[in-house]
Amino acid sequence: MAQAPRFTGQRIRRVEDPRFLTGRGRYLADLEPLGTLAVAFLRSPHAHARIRRLDVTPALQVSGVAAVVTGADLTEANIYCAGLGGQPYPPLAVDEVLYVGHPLVAVVARSRAQAEDAIDAVVVEYEPLPAVVDPVEALAEGAPRVFSQAESNLCFHLEHTPEGLDALFAEAACVVRGTFRHQRQTAVPMETRGILAQYEPVSSRLQVYASSQWGHGLRDGLAKALGLPQSKVQVTLPDVGGGFGAKYGVYPEDVVVAWLALKLGRPVKWVSDRLEAMVSDFHARDSIHIAEGAFAKDGTFLAIRDHMISPAGAYLLDGSAAVLETVIASLVLPGPYKVQAVGFRIDGALTNTTPLGTYRGVWGPAATWVQESLMERAASELGLDRVQMRLHNMVRKEEFPYASCTGVVYDPGSYQESLQTAMEAIDYPGFLKRQREARAQGRYLGLGIAAFVEPTSLGAWQPEPPTVPYESAVVRMEPGGEVVVQVSVNSHGQGHETTIAQLVADALSVDIGKVTVRFGDTAAAPYGGGTFGSRSITVGGGAALEAAGRLRDKILAIGAHLLEAAPEDVELRDGTVAVKGVPARSLSLAEIGRVAHWVPAKMPSGMEMGLEASSRYVPPPITFSNGCHAAEVEVDPKTGRVRIQRYVVVEDCGVMVNPTIVEGQIIGGVAQGVGAAFLEELGYGEDGQPWATTLMDYHLPSVTDVPRVECLHLETPSAVPGGMKGMGESAMVASPAALVLAVEDALSPLGVRFERMPLTPERVWQAMTATRS
Amino acid sequence: MKPAPFQYVVPESLEEVMDILGQHGAEAKVLAGGQSLMPLLNMRLARPAVLVDINRLPGLDQIAVEDTAVEIPCLVRQRAAERSPIVAEELPLLREALRHVAHPQIRNRGTICGSIAHADPAAELALVLVALEGEVVAVGRGGERRIPANAFFRGIFTTALEADEVIRSVRIPRRRFSGQAFREFSPRAGDFALVAVAVALDVDPQGRVQTARVAVAAGSDVPARLTEVEARLQGAQAGAEAVKAAAAQAREAVQAGSDAHASEAYRRHLTEVLTEEALLAAMATTGGNVA
Amino acid sequence: MSTEQLKTEAERPVAFTVNGQAWRGWVEVRRTLADVLREEVGLLGTHVGCEHGVCGACTVLVNGQAVRSCLMLAVQADGCEILTVEGLSESTERLHPLQESFWDHHALQCGFCTPGVLLSAYALLQENPQPTLEDIHEWLSGNVCRCTGYQNIVEAISDAASRLSAEKGGR
Repeated sequence: MAQAPRFTGQRIRRVEDPRFLTGRGRYLADLEPLGTLAVAFLRSPHAHARIRRLDVTPALQVSGVAAVVTGADLTEANIYCAGLGGQPYPPLAVDEVLYVGHPLVAVVARSRAQAEDAIDAVVVEYEPLPAVVDPVEALAEGAPRVFSQAESNLCFHLEHTPEGLDALFAEAACVVRGTFRHQRQTAVPMETRGILAQYEPVSSRLQVYASSQWGHGLRDGLAKALGLPQSKVQVTLPDVGGGFGAKYGVYPEDVVVAWLALKLGRPVKWVSDRLEAMVSDFHARDSIHIAEGAFAKDGTFLAIRDHMISPAGAYLLDGSAAVLETVIASLVLPGPYKVQAVGFRIDGALTNTTPLGTYRGVWGPAATWVQESLMERAASELGLDRVQMRLHNMVRKEEFPYASCTGVVYDPGSYQESLQTAMEAIDYPGFLKRQREARAQGRYLGLGIAAFVEPTSLGAWQPEPPTVPYESAVVRMEPGGEVVVQVSVNSHGQGHETTIAQLVADALSVDIGKVTVRFGDTAAAPYGGGTFGSRSITVGGGAALEAAGRLRDKILAIGAHLLEAAPEDVELRDGTVAVKGVPARSLSLAEIGRVAHWVPAKMPSGMEMGLEASSRYVPPPITFSNGCHAAEVEVDPKTGRVRIQRYVVVEDCGVMVNPTIVEGQIIGGVAQGVGAAFLEELGYGEDGQPWATTLMDYHLPSVTDVPRVECLHLETPSAVPGGMKGMGESAMVASPAALVLAVEDALSPLGVRFERMPLTPERVWQAMTATRS
Repeated sequence: MKPAPFQYVVPESLEEVMDILGQHGAEAKVLAGGQSLMPLLNMRLARPAVLVDINRLPGLDQIAVEDTAVEIPCLVRQRAAERSPIVAEELPLLREALRHVAHPQIRNRGTICGSIAHADPAAELALVLVALEGEVVAVGRGGERRIPANAFFRGIFTTALEADEVIRSVRIPRRRFSGQAFREFSPRAGDFALVAVAVALDVDPQGRVQTARVAVAAGSDVPARLTEVEARLQGAQAGAEAVKAAAAQAREAVQAGSDAHASEAYRRHLTEVLTEEALLAAMATTGGNVA
Repeated sequence: MSTEQLKTEAERPVAFTVNGQAWRGWVEVRRTLADVLREEVGLLGTHVGCEHGVCGACTVLVNGQAVRSCLMLAVQADGCEILTVEGLSESTERLHPLQESFWDHHALQCGFCTPGVLLSAYALLQENPQPTLEDIHEWLSGNVCRCTGYQNIVEAISDAASRLSAEKGGR
């Protein structure tokens, strides 16, 4: 780069904020083409039941109703959702309902209220069937089956016992064990899901607007489900009010709404309400790890065994937690530590619950909890200092790139330094003193440490990866010298309009105000995998940087030609192309733009007109960010309530494009971690009735629950252009472990170990009471 | 989540309200602040045929001090009560409890009487009314009647109100206690309490408890006074010892419920913890001799 | 009064002032203020996040008081003065100090909860120009934000309070 970066690395205020601050953001619910009809769904109140009678004729009599469709209508038209499990996945239930919230009828009416009136009028008779909600019970002999024609509820199984694993356990000086059950959660973006579809029958074009993290994926999924060519389906994403994984993929409601638009020839729109969101958005996590770790006498971490059991819900989805959470965990279970062997067994079970999918930090919260708990328990059994023992086992700077026994390769990071920095920041020796003093007064102070790695920016991480291994960008300069960047990743709060503009502005040496970043329309944006897995700034930004670099070369070539200088003698500087050392000999970008778009005669011979370059950037298979969380808590022994006194995060995500945005992701991720550790739980009764169906019952963290987060940064550049690493999920990956372990540390005089999250005050109190008695 | 259709009426007098209620009975529902009813309407869990919006009734939004009682009419918002000098002076326990009711944005619209009428067993205001021996002034076609708080709450969301009756006001005796305190434990700030405890005490100059009121909401059907605990406290020397014993007794005496939010055992335990805290706090505010 | 005499219309005329502008129209009685502000008045900045009063995204000021517009029928707003996020700043170029402060402190990410948070903060500062941290927490506990973890929102409100009192002092 000709100049030191002006924008990259700076705490620039976000370009997109003024419209959000003034109420001018436009989300899915805000779009309403003339004549739009509203959709409401009838959803099952039973966990499992046969539909004995379904009469929709009374619904058709309700004022304002345009159509009422059932599962049979869709299957007759051969409309199905994509699912992994081999079971056909009808968008609306046919014959049987399989979980509470399972949609079985869709009503289209002039208003949502009228559609709900009609839902009320539908007559259904259910014959309740035995239901199973717990994955362990679902896999037991004789358990009720979700699909009666299936042999069992087992829907996914994978196991691997590496050579030498048993020997490592046999010779270990210390083997620690634990059961770790991560509760079921859901992402709860503040904007619920929604979709608006319009069909134009003459050109047979389907226009879809959706609150989604991945426009191209939704387009491809709808095209497949409806039998339309991909070129005839356009998906446009408006502003998206949060996603966190819950808006990645194609939902049954999407298919139904798009099909209704086809059928009715009118715009059809569905905006999920919060009640249906709680039972129809992907549920997440809900995994059980039965794990053991083998350690040598000096604390060397030798091996891990982990049996993971996870429910899939009623259908095994593409992004099922039962598969993704567990398979990725099997690859990254050692975290920042060197381990010689990892053996695992994964069992996924169909259950009579909402299907499970993705939520921020897929694999991480549970696996980091397992990894750090094994470390803590071994340190305590071996009588070693837990910090020293971690340092002893971490991959050292000189050992990168490090090939883990699981087959993944860690690129350079700062594992030991992160832990040391965190311990300095939290004043580890001082804490130990405070803890001793507090204990003498009958107070329970604890420090939780979670050193983590985050596998980000997935590229070709498997020979035939299940995720799009690249992202794309098209960078063009308009004749006037302004720059437009089209990217395949899109923002639902991450600030791409700012950060990608920062990168491109520097690459082209223009002011950031000259750069506009666009995304979210499949008709304009190049193909890509959308926004998931902490990869927008690395893979999307990497593509933008590569494309901008190509454009820069072209600008320089044209400029050199016009200035009659050799290309290596000119440079881009403050919106001009100038001869190095001779600033007077320069041309404005507007002049270059004019020539490139209007004057073929002045172009270098053989060079294509225009100023546009593109990139499809395939990053390394995995780029690992790393860091360390340290949480200091105090447990109130009277009530079991935990107060977070201090919270320190050391994050190494390589080069930071905008530290303010990085810290925003960290602080927000810790808040969600507080939810996982202490508050949020989507429980089910044995009858399959969910306990938390409103935001009164599903306890999202509020301002009084979250700590002030102190953010510290280390910077180990990655191999991607710009040196960035992904980091959007890291705080969610590490914080539940740090918090749970802090509570265990506080209660260590009582020897309390937790087997399940969240640590509600009652669970903490019960654990304390149980060990006291 | 859109309300089912209803007829909407805006009566201009209490007489009109009674007429409408008399005619429609259980099919009609009174809308005051709406902070409990509106969610139920949006969820279609409440489907009244007639919604009787009393917000335009004149003259029912001012707290009044009478000789023996403070009267809080049906259109007094919770936030207004929280900021009322009368409440601060006369009903400090109510004021303290109001800070725990949801959030300011909810209290701005929610009414005291509406919360009482809704009769959520975890509601702070119902508990305070029971603790302070308040009464509900109900008006119906049969006339006006005053229902003591302990007879008013009949069960979860169930009260002694007849179908044709509306709460005109609640009345709380002007009865200065030498100390009082409200304590609750809820999952998050603003949530309904798992357990809430309201206490009010008179402690004589010798530090002896003359009267004690201890009321608890702990997940059972209705908030209730713990008369055994009160009796034990009466005459006892105010101080940690008496408090400990009373709190332990509260744990045994309380009617505690069990649900998805908390077990009975935990609620009993919290009852003990909060009773202890509340009694100590109440004694600390008495300024008397606390051993 | 008999049923026949009840005003049984599904719709009623409503008039209110919103952001200083008079609005008048017929409104279905069962519609919430949030829905009518959005769909009839066309002010889409008021967001609907839960429709049961928990999330606070729909918070607006009615007669100067912050309330949930999903827990109020539009017909109940007859005669009221309403302030929505669109009325906070005089123009989109000149932001309110609260909005400026939110921008400076990165107090928003996806932006969906932001209008409701801003109006809660606005009401707080109207009532209490120099709030303590505890005051800010009390008000903000009535708004759910899933993105930010609240820390930057708290800082932004606190900073806006200083800016506003400096502005006042300067005048």
